Amino acid sequence: MTLFGIAARNIGRNKLRTSLTVAVVAISTLFFIMLRTVVWSWTSASEFAAKDRIATRHKVSFVMQLPKRYAEEIAQMPGVTAVCYANWFGGKDPKDENDFFATIATDPASLLKVYPEIKTSEAEKQAWIGDRRGAMIGDSLAKKKHWKVGDKITLAGSIFPGNWDFNISGIYTTTTTNVDRATVWFHWDYLNESLPERSKDKVGWIVSNISDPGASGRISKAVDAKFDERDLQTITMSEAALNQSFLGMFSAILKAIDLVSVVMIAIMGLIVGNTIAMGVRERTNEYGVLRAIGFLPKHIAQFVLGEALVIGIVGGVVGLGLGYPFVNLGVGRFLEENMGQMFPQFRVQPQIAVMAFGLALGLAIVSAILPARKAASLQVVESLRRVG
Amino acid sequence: MSENNGKSDIISLSKVGKSFWRGKERLDVLKDLDLTMKEGSFEALMGPSGSGKSTLLNLIAGLDVPTSGSLKVAGSELSQMSEGDRAGFRAANIGFVFQTYNLMPVLTAIENVELPLLLTSLPAADRRKRAETALKLVGLGDRMGHYPRQLSGGQEQRVTIARAIVTDPKIIVADEPTGDLDRDSANDILNLLGRLNTELGKTIVMVTHDPAAAERATVCHRLDKGALAL
Amino acid sequence: MIPISYNVRSLMVRKTTTFATAGGIALVVFVLAAAMMLAAGVKKTMVAGGRPDNAIVTRKGSGAELSSSIENNAVSLILAAPGVKKDETGTPLGSGETVVVIAQEKLGGAAGQVSNVLVRGVPENVLKVRPDVHIVSGRPAKPGTDECIIGKNLVGNYAGMNVGEKFELKKNRPVEVVGVFEAGGSSFESEVWASLETARSSFGRDGLVSSVTVRLESPAAFDRFKATIETDKQLLLEAERETTYYEKQSQATALFVSVLGWVIVVFCMIGATLGAMNTMFAAVAQRKREVGTLRALGFSKFNILTSFVVESVVLTAVGGLVGLIASLLLTFGHVSLMNQASWSEITFSFSATPGILIGAIIAGCSMGIIGGFLPALKAASTSPIEAMRG
Repeated sequence: MTLFGIAARNIGRNKLRTSLTVAVVAISTLFFIMLRTVVWSWTSASEFAAKDRIATRHKVSFVMQLPKRYAEEIAQMPGVTAVCYANWFGGKDPKDENDFFATIATDPASLLKVYPEIKTSEAEKQAWIGDRRGAMIGDSLAKKKHWKVGDKITLAGSIFPGNWDFNISGIYTTTTTNVDRATVWFHWDYLNESLPERSKDKVGWIVSNISDPGASGRISKAVDAKFDERDLQTITMSEAALNQSFLGMFSAILKAIDLVSVVMIAIMGLIVGNTIAMGVRERTNEYGVLRAIGFLPKHIAQFVLGEALVIGIVGGVVGLGLGYPFVNLGVGRFLEENMGQMFPQFRVQPQIAVMAFGLALGLAIVSAILPARKAASLQVVESLRRVG
Repeated sequence: MSENNGKSDIISLSKVGKSFWRGKERLDVLKDLDLTMKEGSFEALMGPSGSGKSTLLNLIAGLDVPTSGSLKVAGSELSQMSEGDRAGFRAANIGFVFQTYNLMPVLTAIENVELPLLLTSLPAADRRKRAETALKLVGLGDRMGHYPRQLSGGQEQRVTIARAIVTDPKIIVADEPTGDLDRDSANDILNLLGRLNTELGKTIVMVTHDPAAAERATVCHRLDKGALAL
Repeated sequence: MIPISYNVRSLMVRKTTTFATAGGIALVVFVLAAAMMLAAGVKKTMVAGGRPDNAIVTRKGSGAELSSSIENNAVSLILAAPGVKKDETGTPLGSGETVVVIAQEKLGGAAGQVSNVLVRGVPENVLKVRPDVHIVSGRPAKPGTDECIIGKNLVGNYAGMNVGEKFELKKNRPVEVVGVFEAGGSSFESEVWASLETARSSFGRDGLVSSVTVRLESPAAFDRFKATIETDKQLLLEAERETTYYEKQSQATALFVSVLGWVIVVFCMIGATLGAMNTMFAAVAQRKREVGTLRALGFSKFNILTSFVVESVVLTAVGGLVGLIASLLLTFGHVSLMNQASWSEITFSFSATPGILIGAIIAGCSMGIIGGFLPALKAASTSPIEAMRG
């Protein structure tokens, strides 16, 4: 028998209350896991961004295009090992116009060279390179749309009008979290040859591999300097910086999520603190007895904190137990398939799980501090007089 | 410490006063009280409600400090002692028996008895052994694993007594120990207290309303309006 | 019936618990109201840009101005379509506009942080087509010059966005801000309006516009106009009432905000309901004797049940009201969000609609009802004899 053991047993006294409180802690743990996973999923792209890639786009506006020959010129620059270029196509499934997924025109061989994390079989790769109408699609999109290799699909262009037919040559998956698994990649040549003369030979952005990741700042500057005197200027930055600037646009939402996390912790803290305080009030007399037989205020405080700790541990474990399947199998799959651009990977991360568990413990302990101090500062004679 | 009849005074109060404030009104609960109790005696405190007997018991037990005067219990001057020191004093010298038993409902009989020993540095096995001895002493050797709610009132009070003696204190304070019990159970408890007094030499200070209970004591002090009415 | 004052006094006896529980409810209602007010604000801002007697023409299938492009010669065909209103000189009231998003440095945030701002190249008569737009400081831009006017939400938030300052649309192509306009709280207030020619030449869009907005003779003239525009298979155009168009444009962002809001709110509501339930269970346990007495005095089970549910509702309604009042303070603030339809940042305000206010109160009370029901049931089923015994 230990003090902590007695505290743990006290929790079983009001099973209903304890279960309700544990449920509150568990729900906040689960919710915290979800919110933090949203932020992680959103921001991880920039953390996992390849250090040896730089991206070049129109200086002023991402909707404006660059001449394709810029890509060829960048490829000639020292320190640049491979270059790939791409155009946002904005295709939609005519059967479901509200279903959003990325459709991008690119040069297949250079794409796979610049993005080694896009994985597909050698046979599918060759098939894609060989078929002008071939498309390489992400595995989560394929799963959602029930598209298979060999299928013929038609997409309606929102930027480039008309219906476009594609043959699915392959399905890719990725090894890192910074690449969307719901994109349709297809031949830039196929797009280009169908465009009117005026719109031909344009690319939306250019991504280059560089041999020395440390030189990315210098090479980026050199690229921009090269085109500075042409009619279209460029802005080049590392993949990480590019992702960061993209995230910056959503900073209000990220801030809101942070704020909500704090508010939620406050709500749960109030609830848990209140429960602990109710227990303390009901046990005033017992605390008086303990004090009478020689226990010190600090022992009483430990008692109360011990109870809170047990609630925190149990609530945290339950929250994690619910959180993993809820996020990984439920919400996560939905988001990966439907909002893959924003949430390329939505899985509980060990560090988030640890943080959430720590939060559950911390929440329980912190919210028990006031009741514990109150219990510890009870006057012995007073508390003995109060019954029940 | 004065010698008298071979026994020393274990409790001595000299000019002890205790006042409480109710709003702006001062209530003098105890007034310049002089009182001594001998080691090994069994003394009863009687008196009407509000006479100050419980306050006196609390002072003797080190639960509270006097407003004025000096109070020496088991060799310690309590009137100037801090709350922390008094907690140590209580753990070492005082065993408590309450009218409402005040057992921890989540602990079994043996665990309740063992509770005060958690404050000592005894190893777990020794603690358990001493708790068993104490429970056997009060005649509950066969009820060790029972929870308070599974025991009768008299049995609960016996567990409380076992808890009071497990640390081997010099003094046992009992606040209306028979107040919630029927006559037979009350007699059992009083017999037990008597045995603790005679066989183990414990000094017992008991507050009671019950004249029959007070008869068991060797000395009976009557309080009225904060002063001894003898 | 047991009077409510009994419940109120009972709540006041347990002040700390009451305040902690009501505080939790207040926070939940605050979050709920804030999320819904923002979603309503998004909708209001976007929809405010549209007039029922305006129609917007984009290229079929483009879905939004940003991805649409229309050839110059089609513009005159659109303006000539039946149903288009004409001004006193007989010129059709229509505005072919080009829309581009530019990255502009944001002030007040991290250094070098950029955000997308929508630049609209507009013809001379744009203010006639959009009569809700008024210059509030400075003056209108002189037609055909590199001058521009900006929406009031941009002022001071981006580099170069102040009357008299300049910013670049393109290298060596600075435009000067000469005026600030207001547009009835609509998303136009987060846009830059430059002359059509300046915008087209800066962005290499010569001969193209993104969309054409026309005033109609009356809202009813829309069907005729649409039929004419869309029957011409060569043009491949799509006409929509401006109100419908902006409603659609707001959907993604408003949906995003309200889905996020609802997920948050549902979780918090479950937590707060459990919290209220705990408080009420404790209240019932504490007042067992009281309940027994009431029963003995002749109050029915139903009376007891109602009384405790009422107490719970009072508890949460007070919390809800506090949260709601706090959330109303948000209506003085603004929030800048990326609008998913135009990929540019638009400033939204929190908009409190009667529906949201009522909804928030209902949500608060329903937490009380749900949280209070089981404890109340427990109280009602107490047998008076047992309860009085303690």
